[in-house]
Amino acid sequence: MSQVLRRRMRRMLADPSLVRLAALAALAFVVFALLSPAFFSVINFQSMGFQVAEVGLLSLAVMLSMLTGGIDLSIVSIAAVASVVAAKLFTAVDAASMTGVGALAATAAFIVVGMLAGVACGVLNGTLITRLRISPILATLGTMQLLNGVAVILTGGRAIYGFPSQFLTIGNGHLAGVPVPLLILLAGATLTTVFVNRTGVGLSIKLVGANPIAARYSGLNNDRVLMLTYVASAILASSAGIIIAARSASANADYGASYVLLAIVIVVLGGVNPLGGYGTVTGVVLAAFTLQMVSSGFNQIGLTAFHYLVAQGVILITVIGIDTLSGRFYISRWIASMSPRRSRGRCDPGEGQHQATSQPSGGGPTEPGSERQQQGGGRT
Amino acid sequence: MTRRPLNVRNLHWGRLRGSNNEGMVALLIGLLAIVVGLSTPSFWSGSTLLNVATNSLVNVVFAMGVLLIMIAGGIDVSFLAIGIFAGYSVIAFTNATGIGASDAVIGFALAAVVGLGLGAINALAVAGLRIPTLIATLGTLAIFRGALLGFVGAQMITTYPPGLSDLSTTYLFTAHGAMETRLSVLIIPSVLICVFVSLLLRYTLIGRGIFAIGGDTESAYRVGFPVFRIKVLVYLIAGLLAGIAGMIHVLQVRMAVPQELVGGELDVIAAVVLGGASVFGGKGSVSGTVLGVILIALIKSSLILLGVPGSWQRAAVGALLLVSVSAQALSGPRRFGRATLAGEPAP
Repeated sequence: MSQVLRRRMRRMLADPSLVRLAALAALAFVVFALLSPAFFSVINFQSMGFQVAEVGLLSLAVMLSMLTGGIDLSIVSIAAVASVVAAKLFTAVDAASMTGVGALAATAAFIVVGMLAGVACGVLNGTLITRLRISPILATLGTMQLLNGVAVILTGGRAIYGFPSQFLTIGNGHLAGVPVPLLILLAGATLTTVFVNRTGVGLSIKLVGANPIAARYSGLNNDRVLMLTYVASAILASSAGIIIAARSASANADYGASYVLLAIVIVVLGGVNPLGGYGTVTGVVLAAFTLQMVSSGFNQIGLTAFHYLVAQGVILITVIGIDTLSGRFYISRWIASMSPRRSRGRCDPGEGQHQATSQPSGGGPTEPGSERQQQGGGRT
Repeated sequence: MTRRPLNVRNLHWGRLRGSNNEGMVALLIGLLAIVVGLSTPSFWSGSTLLNVATNSLVNVVFAMGVLLIMIAGGIDVSFLAIGIFAGYSVIAFTNATGIGASDAVIGFALAAVVGLGLGAINALAVAGLRIPTLIATLGTLAIFRGALLGFVGAQMITTYPPGLSDLSTTYLFTAHGAMETRLSVLIIPSVLICVFVSLLLRYTLIGRGIFAIGGDTESAYRVGFPVFRIKVLVYLIAGLLAGIAGMIHVLQVRMAVPQELVGGELDVIAAVVLGGASVFGGKGSVSGTVLGVILIALIKSSLILLGVPGSWQRAAVGALLLVSVSAQALSGPRRFGRATLAGEPAP
């Protein structure tokens, strides 16, 4: 077993983007620990542990859909629907006043029902994308609005209260000092990693994202894979919704609207290629921790949420920008010198696995063209 | 633009439908008007017309910018952030320095410049750094919004300089009825911008280039279009239009609230998609977009008139977007390829 572990560690250390990310996380840690003495304290770590789970699970959800080359913008709305459905069930049976086994059973049952509601939303997404062939951006943009509307209708525009204490421990409890949400995040990350790296379906997710045409010709059922992707993404988003409800003790249709951008920043920082095919759970989790440290650090230094917002945008643009720029000067020139013609899709899915950075290959093959464009657009 | 073959059958229905199915949108508007009018007879009045016009006039300018970018094959979500940044900062600037206090044209010019600058950042990110448009504009959305609220100001401004506040209280028409409804003179810049964009798309080489890039970037490049320059221009123009739209908005509501506008991106994007623009690029028209904006405004006021609770509005717009996009996807040719972020890495 330790053989396997050692091999895995070696593989991770050999991956430059993961090393870079770990270095970034360490840097953020050191910087904020130096800037603010309160940062390096158990209380701060615990508080960060409580907060990181919500956006971490949402980021994993986005990662799954990004691996296929699409995107799921409706994650926050799915989370809202799951939490609202669970909340309505809790208030319907007045679970807040229940005790003992009854409360436990109710908690477990209603959480499951909430997650099933989220799964239904995922099926909706999947149907729109696979059956109706709508581009994932538009489809999830539409379902984001639609499901948000549904959640607003269910809550009547207010927040719903009335959860039993057993449910609240999910969001607020400790287990030997470690916050329960953090444990749930780690469990979810482990499951996702096993799903993506060890199961046939999970591997086919990456294949479909890397080169859907080749995947189809290899005999993969792209539609089934996409449907499963969006359902899995919905499951992760629903669990995030449950944790959000448990932590804030209320179900609100509009909570977490800013999480979509944050999840995308985390995923991109974590090394997932927005065009599909490449990404690691380790990277995403590391990135989630990094951004959580930035958020807490900013807070403690005295910067506002708006500064954090600017930071997110800057991080997003610089990460992809650096990847594109550095990719342009190394990999793409090499590719361009080898292949005379480019096709619509990516030429070589293998490249995605070996590159040091997550490079959109569109920047590669069109490189010679755009270089000429820079000279004024005339054809030579 | 798709040209239909000239034969007897198409001469009748084809022209009515319009090359981007604008006819369908017009039909939907007509049907909706009939349905609402049957249940609420007060619908059939000049007030309704002016209400719809008032509610659409800001969104239609935003929609023009989104249309340009969508035809070129991208997607923009930062336009509202640009708009409110421009509107708010110009009002704050004019209040603080007095420049443009007497003449609204200067105010609009300033807003256009701000929009142009922010659009340049978009152009840098998308055309320069080759970031996929959705992600790039999500990032710039965060930057613009955070910069506005963090560095320019987060307080709402209610006192305007005299030149601007005069403009915001000038009205063109008045409809008398149960309630007196007035149409602001700000509809004139909106209409002018729509005409300008329509002329740009139809009669200039840049317009043809935008369609070409959206249709197939590589082919457009080989035919000789300066792809990079056109992409940059598209984002600059979209930023400029967003800036002007933001200025119109703050003038129309007579309050500059920096937290406003952002969050309503879907209404504009849905309107553009409804109007026949394809998210893959290469298709779209000004008339369709205008009809789309009108349809969305009409739906929102119809829901109110029909007594549907306000909480249903979001779901309704979302459902409408999905239905219209499904119809588009089912009727159009199968786009062979991936279910990716708008298909191409750039623009």
